[in-house]
Amino acid sequence: MSLRHGGLSPLQRYVGRRLAVVLPTLLGMSFLVFSVASLTPGDPAEEYAQRVTQRPPTAAELAQARHELRLDRPFAVQYVDWVAHAVRGDLGKSFFTRHSVAAEVRHRIPFTLQLAVPAALLSLVIAMAVGTVSAFYRNRPLDQVVRVLSLAGASMPSFWLALLLVIGFSVRLRLFPVAGRQDGLASLVLPVAALSLPSAAVLSRFIRSTLLEVLGEDYVRSARAKGAREVAVLTRHALRNSLVPVVTAFGTSLGHLLAGTVVIESIFAWPGLGTLTLDAIHHRDYPMLQAFILFAGLIVIVINLVVDVSYAVIDPRIRPGRRAVPGAD
Amino acid sequence: MFRILARRVSIIVALALVVAGCSDSSDTSDSTTGGSTLPVALAAKQELTVGLSQDQNTTEGGQASLASTAPNAGVYETLLYMGPNFEIKPLLAERWEFRAPNTFRFFIRKGVKFHDGQPLNAQAVKVGVFDRAATAGGLTLKAGPESTVIVDDYTLDFTPKIANLRVFEQIVHASYPVIAPGSEPGKKPVGTGPFRFVEYVAKERIVVERNPDYWGERPTLDKLTFRFYPDSSSRRLALEAGEIDVAFDVPRADVKSLKAKGIQVPTAAVGGYEVLFADLTGKAPYDLLADPNLRKAVALGIDRKAIITGVLEDLATPDQSMVPPASLGTHASAVKGVTYDPVAARKTLDDAGWKVGSSGIREKDGRPLKLTLVSGFPTAEVLKPVPTVVQAQLKTIGIDVTIDERPDSASFRAKITTKEGDLYLEQRSQNDADPSFLPVVFMSDITEGGAAPYQAAFNPGQPFNGLLRSTLSEPNLDKVQTAVAEAMHNAVDLQNTVVALAGVYPIYGLRANVQGFVAHPTAQNVLWGSVRLTKS
Repeated sequence: MSLRHGGLSPLQRYVGRRLAVVLPTLLGMSFLVFSVASLTPGDPAEEYAQRVTQRPPTAAELAQARHELRLDRPFAVQYVDWVAHAVRGDLGKSFFTRHSVAAEVRHRIPFTLQLAVPAALLSLVIAMAVGTVSAFYRNRPLDQVVRVLSLAGASMPSFWLALLLVIGFSVRLRLFPVAGRQDGLASLVLPVAALSLPSAAVLSRFIRSTLLEVLGEDYVRSARAKGAREVAVLTRHALRNSLVPVVTAFGTSLGHLLAGTVVIESIFAWPGLGTLTLDAIHHRDYPMLQAFILFAGLIVIVINLVVDVSYAVIDPRIRPGRRAVPGAD
Repeated sequence: MFRILARRVSIIVALALVVAGCSDSSDTSDSTTGGSTLPVALAAKQELTVGLSQDQNTTEGGQASLASTAPNAGVYETLLYMGPNFEIKPLLAERWEFRAPNTFRFFIRKGVKFHDGQPLNAQAVKVGVFDRAATAGGLTLKAGPESTVIVDDYTLDFTPKIANLRVFEQIVHASYPVIAPGSEPGKKPVGTGPFRFVEYVAKERIVVERNPDYWGERPTLDKLTFRFYPDSSSRRLALEAGEIDVAFDVPRADVKSLKAKGIQVPTAAVGGYEVLFADLTGKAPYDLLADPNLRKAVALGIDRKAIITGVLEDLATPDQSMVPPASLGTHASAVKGVTYDPVAARKTLDDAGWKVGSSGIREKDGRPLKLTLVSGFPTAEVLKPVPTVVQAQLKTIGIDVTIDERPDSASFRAKITTKEGDLYLEQRSQNDADPSFLPVVFMSDITEGGAAPYQAAFNPGQPFNGLLRSTLSEPNLDKVQTAVAEAMHNAVDLQNTVVALAGVYPIYGLRANVQGFVAHPTAQNVLWGSVRLTKS
């Protein structure tokens, strides 16, 4: 067992240290978001007043709208006030709907997760399978086909892929709905596919190249020399040792996947955080926008933490508290 | 053996068809869509789904817009209705009359009930329409807390807090629905309309059902679902796939291919415009269009026919105004429009001292003739590629145009506020029957407060302002139309402060079995009572 200080294992202390950084990171991020939002062209008070009065507002109506939205205070006061409320879980009221931002975000998170979680899992499963097969049949026709397809998948914009899927599977074959959530699980298929396939394509190419690198190592040669079957060599010896960089790439792809939901949710009329964000941009709904960016930042921080911790699980040589093994990092 | 089997199968199929024909509960009806009056068999299931763009409904507070404007789901009704040619028709008010100097009397229809059983009367209209407007600051009606007087149970007088004689034309706007007293418009809209509210799922759908106790002609549709498709491609594909029966905001580029696939694409009368506003009060380097000669040259140098044919897919009209011609009645012809004449445009520039430089761009006193065209209402994406075409056309007469595309209306308006442009391209529509609405709001100096960025930049001064001011105190609509037409003639033809490109209208997409749909120039005024689904 590794050394303990104050009853905590090195891994626990490592996680603790990483968690301690989360709050200042979020604070810095919130300041950045707040600053950028205030510099964005377009006056949220004008948007708000126009909605209420049904015409371009007069100077007096604009001033009234600024007061209502509490935009008539200095930037620093607005920011400190926002932070003071945010730490208590109050992210303010939407400039557009006048609903609680925190409640709105909480309401939308499950919809985004309905797409993002299956898409992440699917992309991983596809990538592992395709990448391994591709490495196994290196430079053979199957590998060539897989490489071309994965290159195409990685290069294809997700919105274009989404529309192709809709034309093929919804308009022509009538297998799945074009958009919306009205058809239960069938509604999930196309958006999840559109989200996961580009990510799977990138990841599969990564897995293939990492596997090929590992397959050239001495211990793999030794396993083969001992008479291990090629499948066993690949799955037992090579695959696990290639996982560390793959996990890193997968963690990064999750961030991209979250960003991808903005476009995919819009195309598939999915009422998640992505469409919420687009609406917030459209309406200059800064409280909503800030909430989304904070949430996305938090997710990325958590993903990075999980990825870092998973290194130790996958490869004992890089557990915190252990001496570094040459070549292990 | 095979022959016997085949004969039995054919007999069974024939019997099944006969039984299906007999058991069908549908009846026949006249279809007026496309001008046909042939009887058509109605589908047994009268459930229509409509695809819209963004969900713009607000549900918070007394000004909640749920199911009233985006879309107008047929739950509510207004006192008066604006027909497809901007004409005013009775709805919940059977009659109306003007009482000088500034009062409007409404005679409320008797025997009408809200969906919750409450009777419609003058008190309900006072609370549901006029007091609500007063709470929001008066809105276009200029309603104040003391504006409404109940004459009797079914008669009501409304007196705006300041002179505003356009109330009858304004009250047709879908944002003035008669809301049931005590109801919560943001949670469960209760009106008098042909459809009753069923559910609203934010960003997903609004569902309404037939109101069996409707006071007017009962609708054919049993259920009406409005779904939101923010992406126009998805909306179009949903229409093709049969997921929706009706699509709003069909992009012009899709019309030909949709028609080829059997989709009906009805268009309405012109309800809006695509224009360039000239900033008349800009500071250098955005001060050039204060010169009337330059504005004239710009107006002469734009080939509108090429834009309508080449860019707007011939789905626009050459009307050069920001007021729909139908709303100006017989006076619309007062706005002549500027005819494309590049020779005259060049001469105008030559005469004004702008000489062609070595690069082909004109110069005067060492200053090149450079203009910035800001594009962005409703979005730059919607307006593409009009700015590029205008840029190319003006280059041929020696004007160098820089395009500044704004992604949305907020950043577009920010540019008007900071006055960082010479020409502002926008597409907008008129949603009520007041012919002076758009020019008053966007260009005149007579809007209360008068400091909106549009007015500061685009107000052409006299006689434009005087003509529009007269519309506020003129009870006669014909005279108002005359004044507005004169004002637009001044802005478009004489001063060229408005460089109008085309008259535009909404484009709808309907599956072949949708009948009875009347395309309206404003999407908020589409009625669903006459719509039905046929068997085909």
